[in-house]
Amino acid sequence: MKTLNACKDCHYLTEKDRCPLCSEQTVNRWRGYVIVLNPEKSQIAKKMNITKPGKYALKVS
Amino acid sequence: MENTVAEEAPKSSIFSIKTQVGKEQNTADLLNSRAKKGKLDIASILVTPELRGYIFVEAFDEELIKNTIKTISYARNMLEGSIPIDQIEHFLTPTSAVAKITEGDVVEMIAGPFRGEKAKITHIDYAKEEITVELLESMVPIPITVRGDQVRIIKRKDDEKREER
Repeated sequence: MKTLNACKDCHYLTEKDRCPLCSEQTVNRWRGYVIVLNPEKSQIAKKMNITKPGKYALKVS
Repeated sequence: MENTVAEEAPKSSIFSIKTQVGKEQNTADLLNSRAKKGKLDIASILVTPELRGYIFVEAFDEELIKNTIKTISYARNMLEGSIPIDQIEHFLTPTSAVAKITEGDVVEMIAGPFRGEKAKITHIDYAKEEITVELLESMVPIPITVRGDQVRIIKRKDDEKREER
């Protein structure tokens, strides 16, 4: 099964070692899971300052 | 300059879906793929570690979500009505997994190879959200480091002190 890593900066979840959005390093310690499909219409995305669709972690440690 | 009035977008509603415990993320992923395949109008899906057995879906049509979750076996049912964003806002900034744990607490391991075993907390790493425990039933005290969310507190150190008094 593929493991997802979270970006330390923007919390974006990716399988890669570097975040494709901000090229920050990713880590495998994260909790909480948000899938944003439509950031323009989403209240949750606005609260979390997410502007790009994708999968995000709530907390990265 | 053109005077265009921005059209007010319809406000999304947040619905809660009851899922099989431990399958919250799988349910969210399945709902995500169904939404992409069927071009369903879903804004976001939220899985919070503090609430087991439930996920939140931000969408516009209640019936659409109800019908979609019928095809997902991990999803049990949907709770009637929507939840205001203020009520789930605190889930967006989860507290530390080790916030409620103190050294000396007796815990039960809820995941990993020692699942079901009782252990005592010997050290807490707040930065990594990890804890070091010693198994109570083990002959030799071997320190084991696990993630903070892999244990459940069964007896607090303060409770023990109170009992002694």
